[in-house]
Amino acid sequence: MLRITGGTIYDPANGINGEVRDLYVEDGKFVSSFTGGRTIDATGLVIFPGGVDVHTHVAGGSINFARAMTPEDHRRTQAFIRSQTRRSGLGGMAPTTFATGYLYAGMGFTTVNEAAVPVLSARHTHEEMADIPIVDKSCLVLMANNEIMLDLLEAGEYERAKHIVAWHVWAAKAYGVKAVNPGGVAAWKWGKDANQLSEPVEGYKNTTPGSIVTSLAKIIDELGLPHPIHLHCNNLGAPGNITTTLETMKHLEGHRAHMAHLQYHAYGGDDWDTMKSESAQLAEYFNAHPNMTTDAGAVLFGDTVTITADGPWQHLLYKLTGRKWGNLDVENETGCGIVPYSYRPSNLVNAVQWATGLELLLLIDDPWRVFLSTDHPNGACFWRYPEIVQLLMCADFRKECMAGLPPEIMNRITLPEINREYTLYEIATIMSAGPARALGLQQKGNLGIGKDADMVIYHSDKDIARMFGHPRYVIKRGEIVIEEGDIRETPDGSEYLVKPSFDPGTDEFLRPLFEDRYCMSFENYPVEMERIERPDLQQCITTE
Amino acid sequence: MDLKVIDHATCTFCGCVCDDIQLHADDERIHQAKKACVLGKAWFLNHTAERKYPDALIDGKEATVDEAIAAAAEHLYQADMPLVYGMSNTTCEAQRECVEMADHLGGLLDSHTSL
Amino acid sequence: MGGKVTCTLGEVKNRADFIVYWGGNPAECHPRHFTKYTLMQKSPFLPRGRKDRTMVLVDIRETKSAKASNIFLQVRPGKDFELITLLRAMIKDQPISEAQVAETGLTIEQLQDFVSRMKAAKYGVFFFGMGLSMTRGKHMNSAALLTLAAEMNAFTKFVAMPMRGHGNVTGADVIMRWQTGYPFGISFNRGYPRYNPGEFSTVDVLVRGDTDCAFIIGADPGATMPQPAIDHLAKVPTIVLDPHVTHTSKLARVHITTAPAGISAPGTAYRMDEIPLPLRPALKSPYPSDEEVVRRIKEALLEKPDWMGERPQMLQNQI
Repeated sequence: MLRITGGTIYDPANGINGEVRDLYVEDGKFVSSFTGGRTIDATGLVIFPGGVDVHTHVAGGSINFARAMTPEDHRRTQAFIRSQTRRSGLGGMAPTTFATGYLYAGMGFTTVNEAAVPVLSARHTHEEMADIPIVDKSCLVLMANNEIMLDLLEAGEYERAKHIVAWHVWAAKAYGVKAVNPGGVAAWKWGKDANQLSEPVEGYKNTTPGSIVTSLAKIIDELGLPHPIHLHCNNLGAPGNITTTLETMKHLEGHRAHMAHLQYHAYGGDDWDTMKSESAQLAEYFNAHPNMTTDAGAVLFGDTVTITADGPWQHLLYKLTGRKWGNLDVENETGCGIVPYSYRPSNLVNAVQWATGLELLLLIDDPWRVFLSTDHPNGACFWRYPEIVQLLMCADFRKECMAGLPPEIMNRITLPEINREYTLYEIATIMSAGPARALGLQQKGNLGIGKDADMVIYHSDKDIARMFGHPRYVIKRGEIVIEEGDIRETPDGSEYLVKPSFDPGTDEFLRPLFEDRYCMSFENYPVEMERIERPDLQQCITTE
Repeated sequence: MDLKVIDHATCTFCGCVCDDIQLHADDERIHQAKKACVLGKAWFLNHTAERKYPDALIDGKEATVDEAIAAAAEHLYQADMPLVYGMSNTTCEAQRECVEMADHLGGLLDSHTSL
Repeated sequence: MGGKVTCTLGEVKNRADFIVYWGGNPAECHPRHFTKYTLMQKSPFLPRGRKDRTMVLVDIRETKSAKASNIFLQVRPGKDFELITLLRAMIKDQPISEAQVAETGLTIEQLQDFVSRMKAAKYGVFFFGMGLSMTRGKHMNSAALLTLAAEMNAFTKFVAMPMRGHGNVTGADVIMRWQTGYPFGISFNRGYPRYNPGEFSTVDVLVRGDTDCAFIIGADPGATMPQPAIDHLAKVPTIVLDPHVTHTSKLARVHITTAPAGISAPGTAYRMDEIPLPLRPALKSPYPSDEEVVRRIKEALLEKPDWMGERPQMLQNQI
C-alpha cells in the first residue's frame, strides 16, 4: 500500500490538468482510499502517468543484428554495473535488453511496444522481451509483405486473407499488426522496390501497395484488434514522398490507422538537393481526418544506428554513406536493413529532418493523435526523449537550436514560424495517455481508479530536459522502481497479446503453402503460449 | 513393445538444426531417426537414457550432484578470474543461465566462435 | 566496410539460382544442407529445382562436395583473400594483373566466367565455412567475402552466410549479443561487459594462464585446443558439464553428467540463420539438464557474500 500526497497531477485520460490530489495504490492498482501504508509526500512535485512508447525497436532479430554491428559504440557508452540483484548492461545506440529496461524506466516510461516482429523469429523476440526488466511490453507482427497473404489478396480471397492475418497474430503471440513498405519488402527480395501506390507489386498483376493498405486496414478493423493497422508507408525517407503519404492516407479513409514515424514521410522536393519539409501540408490533411493517429519519428542530431524492415531504403542509405550495411531477408514474411548513421546539423537533409519531426508535433493540433517517438533507434535513441520534450515546450530553445543550422534551410522548413509551446498537460498526453489509448491499453496511461499504478513523479524544474530525464520517483504497478536516479527494483513486466478469431481450418489450409515456402516444420512455427513470460491476454473490440 | 513416435523433432548436431526428424524410441533409447542424415542418426542413436556415467565426479571420485554443485560454486567463488566457456552443445535456456552466472562472477565468457 | 548482407535459409530455398560454397564441405559436414535448404529444393520461383540452380565450390581441395557442384574452383591454399579482392576489383571493371591472377591458382578465364555468372544471377548466395574463416587471413577473409556480397548488390541481389557448425553455437552468439552487446570474447571483470577477442578469447586466455578457474559446458577443449591451453586447464580447477565423461572431464576437478540437449533435455536451439527452433526430447534422462545445474550453481553463488563491494550503479562513460 502506497499513498502519494500533495502532488500536482496531470492525467489527461481523466481530464485532470495540474490539480493537487492524493493517489492511493494497493496491489498494483489505483484505489479510492485507505488508511495506513507508506506515504510519499509529493508536495510541489509533478505527477504523470507512466510513459508509453507506441513505436520502438528494442527486441528481436533486427535490433540484435544492430548490436552486433556497433561494438565501437558499446565500448564508449554508459555501462550499468551489476549488483547482487541486477544484471549488468550497456546503453548507447542499441542498448542491451537489461539496459533497455533501466533506461526506459529511468525516464519514467513503463510500457513499450516493439514495432516489428516476423513470425519466423518471434520466439527470439519474446525471449529478448523477457530479458527487458521493469516495463510492460507488446509487439506487432509484420504482415504487409507476407507472400501467402499477398497471393490471397491477388486472387481476391479477402475472407481467407483475414483468417490468415488472425492466425499469424496468434502464431507470433503478437498484440497487433505492422505494415512496412507494403509490397516493397517483397519486391526487395528481387532487389526492387514498390514506390507507386497504384502500380502492381513486383511479381503480381493486381495487387498494389494501395490495395494492400486498404485490405489490411479493413481486416484489422473487422478482426477488432485493439490497435489499428500500424503503417510504415512506402517511399520512406525519399524527397517528394509527401505525395505517396497523402495518397496512402486516402486509401485509409473509413478505417482506423496508426501512421508510424510520419517525419520520414513528410518531404517535398525532387531530390536530395531540393528536399524540404511538407509537414504543413501533411498536418493539414491529418488534422481533418480523425481516423488516424501518428507518432513523430523525430530526429535528433548525433550518432545512431538505423534499422528498418525497409530493405531497399537501407541499401540506398548504405550507398549514400558508405558505412556498414546489414541486411536480412526473411523468407515469405519480411526483411530488415541496418546502417549506422550520424545526423549532423550542418547537413541540409538532416537539418530538414530535424525540423520536420518537430513541426509535425507542433502543427498537429490534437495531442491525442500525435505521440512522442524517434522510431528508436532510427531518428535518435529513445533515452533522448527528454530533449524533444524541451524542444516542444520552449520556443526560445528551438530558436537557439535553429541558429546553428545552415542558413539555406530557412525556405525549406516552417519551424521558425511556429510559436506554439506544449503545456505539461499536452506532454502527458503525447507521452502517455495518447499512445496508451491508441494501443487500446485501457489500464495504461491513466491515473484513474482501478488502472495500473504506473506513474512518474518529477521535480518541477525550469530545465525541462533535466526534469524529464531525472524523475524523482518512477512507480511501476505500485512498486518504486526508480528513486532519484537510483534503480530500486527491477520487477518483470507483462506481455500483452490478443487472440483474434480465425477459422479452425486455417492450419490445414496454410500447411501446404507453408511447406512450399519455408524450410522448417509447420508444427514448430507458432510460438507456444508457455514460452511467454507473464502473458496478459487482451480482448478484441468491436469497431464501427 | 510399441515404440513412442516423436514427430518434428530437432537435431542439434550441426548448424543446420533440422527440425523435421521423426524419432522412434522406447524408454531407454532411440531406435530410429527418420529423415536424419548420417551424422544426425549417429547423434540420436548413440545417446541413451542409460546411467552410463556417474552422476558427478569430484577430483576423480564419484559424488552426488548436490556435492558437485557445491564444489563447483566454491571453486568459481574463490577464483579471481573465472572463465565460462563453450555453450555449443547445449540449449538456449542453459546459455542464458551461463551468461547470467558469468555476469555475476565478474569473469570471462566465451564460446566456440572465438576458436 | 563492415556488416553482413544475409537472409534466412528459406530465402535460399525459394530464390537462390546461384549458390557458392567457399571453404566448406557441406556434403560431409552439413549433409542435408543441399537437400533441405539449397540445391535440391523446388520453389514457385525455381520450379525445376536443381536444374534451375548453379552451384560453385571454391576450396583448396576437391572434396566430396565438388561432385555436387557445377563448377569447382581450386584456390591455392592461403590465397582466398587475394582471390576475393580480385573479384571485388573485377565486378567494378577495375584493372588486375596476370601475376595477381596466377597467384590464386586459377586462370583469368575462370575468374571472368565466375564474375559474369555472379552478375547474371537473379539471387546469389555465398556460404562460407571454416576453410575460409579459420585459415590464413581468418576474419579478414570473412570480412572480404561479406564485402563482395554487399558490393554485388549494385548489380543484382546477393547475400552471404557463414556455415556455422557445433550445434547451438549460433544460440550462444545471439544470446550474448542481447544480454551483453557482444557475441563472444567478453570480460565482466569491471562489473559490465567488455569485448576484446585476442585478449578475452579462451585459447589466448588459457595459453597466457590468465584464468584461475574454468567452467566448461557443451564443449570439449581438452580434445581440441592447443596443448599449452590444455595444460592450463589441468593446472586450475576446471568444472565440466557434459552428457559424457570427456577428455576435459578427465583433467577436471569437478564433472557433472547432464542430459543431452534435444535428446532428453528440452529447450531451444538456433539454426545457422538465427532462426530459433524448439527441441522435442524423446527420452527421459537419469541426469539433470544443463539449465538446471547451471541455475543451481548460480543460486549457490548468490548465497555467498557478494565479492564486489560498493560500486556506482552506472558509468556515464567507460574508461
